Amino acid sequence: MNMLDRFASVARPAPPTHDTVHWRRLWPRLLRHRGFCIGLVLGLALLGLAAIGPFIAPYEPNWPDYAAALRAPEPAHWLGTDATGRDVLARILDGAHRSIGAAVFVLATIFAIGLVVGAVAGMAGGVVDTVLMRLVDVMMTLPGLVLAFAILGILGPGFFNLLLALVVADWAYYARLARSLTLSARTRPDVIAARMAGIGWGRILLGHILPGVALQLAVVATLGIGGMISAISGFSFLGLGVQPPYAEWGAMLAESRFYFPIAPWLLLVPAGSIFIAVLSANLIGNGLRDVLEAKGRT
Amino acid sequence: MTRELAAAVLRRLGQAVLTALVASTLVWALLPLAPGDPVLRLMEARHILEPNDLQIANLRAELALDQPLPLQYANWLARAVRGDLSISYRTGRPVLEEISERLPATMMLLGTALAASILLSLVLALVAVAWRDRWPDRLILLYTQIGAAIPTFVFALLVLQYVIVGAGIGRVLPQGSLALVLLPALTVAVDRAAGWTQLLRASLIEAGNANHALVARARGASRWHVIWHHALPNGILPFLTAIGVSIGALIGGAPIIEEIFTWPGLGRYVLQALSARDYPVIQGFVLLSGLSYVAASLAVDLVAMMLYPRLRKSS
Repeated sequence: MNMLDRFASVARPAPPTHDTVHWRRLWPRLLRHRGFCIGLVLGLALLGLAAIGPFIAPYEPNWPDYAAALRAPEPAHWLGTDATGRDVLARILDGAHRSIGAAVFVLATIFAIGLVVGAVAGMAGGVVDTVLMRLVDVMMTLPGLVLAFAILGILGPGFFNLLLALVVADWAYYARLARSLTLSARTRPDVIAARMAGIGWGRILLGHILPGVALQLAVVATLGIGGMISAISGFSFLGLGVQPPYAEWGAMLAESRFYFPIAPWLLLVPAGSIFIAVLSANLIGNGLRDVLEAKGRT
Repeated sequence: MTRELAAAVLRRLGQAVLTALVASTLVWALLPLAPGDPVLRLMEARHILEPNDLQIANLRAELALDQPLPLQYANWLARAVRGDLSISYRTGRPVLEEISERLPATMMLLGTALAASILLSLVLALVAVAWRDRWPDRLILLYTQIGAAIPTFVFALLVLQYVIVGAGIGRVLPQGSLALVLLPALTVAVDRAAGWTQLLRASLIEAGNANHALVARARGASRWHVIWHHALPNGILPFLTAIGVSIGALIGGAPIIEEIFTWPGLGRYVLQALSARDYPVIQGFVLLSGLSYVAASLAVDLVAMMLYPRLRKSS
C-alpha cells in the first residue's frame, strides 16, 4: 500500500501548492520561456497595431472605391484592396477589434461565470452543489460547437448572438473545473490552518482559495483564446457572426472567397492574421502553463 | 474477471442512455424557445397558407402543443424514438428522410478524417518520441505548433486554393463519392492531428519515464522495445480520451468543411436550414450530433475498459 502510494505520487504531477502568486518572481521565469516571449511580442505587436490602426490608416475600412478594386499590394494600398476597392490593411486592423476583442470578451465572461458558479458549488456543497453540477452536466451532453449552432439557429445570425452562443456553449466546462480546483484547495494545509485559527470561510475564500483557483482558471482561459478566435472567425465565415459591411477576419475571407484565384492576397492576409493571433495566444497560454506547472512542482 | 467487465459495461451503457435522455431534453427545448408559432409554420410547409381555426386547433392537439411542457416533451420524445422528427418547414418533407439522404456523405467524410487523424498522430508521436530532441522531433513539434494555430477552415481554404485550384489535384465540386473523399478528409486530418500528436507525444514521454521503463532501459532494452512495450500501452489512455472528446468538435466542424469543399452532406444542409430558420431540421441535426457524441464517448470508454482492467472498478 505504501509502495503503491509512493509510486502513484511519482507518476502523477503534484497538485499545485502555490497559495499566493508573486508576479515579481514569476516574471523572470516567464521572460526566460522562449515561446512565451515570442507569443508576447507577436500579441503586443498585433494589439498595438489594432489600437493605433484607426488613427494612422489612410482609408475608411468600410468605404468602397470601385475605381481601385482588386489592386494587388502596392505603395498606395500596402495589402491591396478587395473586390469593392476597400483597403485590406484598414479592414484587417478594424477587424482585429472584433476578432481578438470578441474572443477575449467571451473568455472573460466565461471565466467570470465559471469562477462564480464553480466556487459557489465547491464551497456550498450539498443541494446547491448538486443542482449547479447537474446543470453543468446537462450543458455538457452536447458538443460545444453543435450547441452554438443550435443557439444561433434560434436567435438568428449576428455578432452579439454569436458571442452569447459561445458563452452558453462553453461556460459549463470552466464551472466544473473551478469547482474541482476549489474542492482541492479546501483541503490544502494553509486553508486548514486558517480554519483552525478561527478565520471565517468568507475570508478564507477570498484570501486563500479564490486567488489560486482564479489563476489556474485564467491559465486555462488563456489557452482557450486561440480556439475562440478560430471559432468566431469560423462562424463569421459562415455568415452567422459579424454581418457586412463590418470587417472581421473570417467574414473577410467569406466575402472574397471567389476572388482568391485572381487576388491571392485576399486569402493570405486574413489567413495570416488569424494564424498570428492564434499562434501568439497559444504561445502565451503554453508559456503560462509551463511556468506555473514548474512552480507547482517545486 | 469477466463478470466485473460485464458489470462495468452495463453500468457505462446505462450512463450513456441517461446522457442521451438528458441531451434530448436540451435538444427538445430548442423548439419551444424558438420564435414563431410552430403550428403556423407547419401549415405553411403543408401548403395550407390560410388555415382556419379548426385546422390550427387540430394540428396543435395532434402535436400536443396545447399541453403543459412536460407532456409536450414526452409526446415529442415518443415521436422521436419512432423516427418522427416532424417535417421541414422549408420543403415539407420528413426531417428524418432529408437527413438520411445526406448522412452517408458526411459519415464518409468524418469517418475517413477520423481514421486518418488517428493514424497520422500515432505515427508522428511515435517518431517524435523515438528521435526525441533530434530533428524529426523538432520538425514534428513545429508542425503541431503551426497546425494548432491554423483553424481547420482556413487550412481548408488554403488547400482549396493551392492544391485543388492551383495544382489541379482533386475536384472543386465533389459529388460526395469515396473516390473524392480523400482530399477534404486529409485536410481535416492534417489539421486535427496536430493537437493529438502534441498530447500523445507528451504522454508517451511521461510514460517512458516511469520506473518500469527506466528499469527496462537500464537492463539494455532497445529504444523501440521501451516505446512499444512500456510507453505506448501506458501512455495511450489520454489520447483515447482526447479522441472521444474531439469527435464532438469534428461533428461541429462538419458544416464549415462541407461548405468550403461543397461536400453534399448534412453540414451544408444544416447551414441552409439555419438561414431559412428551418427549426425542425436544425433540431434533427443537433439531436443526431448529440447522439453520435454520446455513442462515440461510449465506444471510447468501452475500448479503454477492454485495455485497462483498472477502469472496470466501480468508483
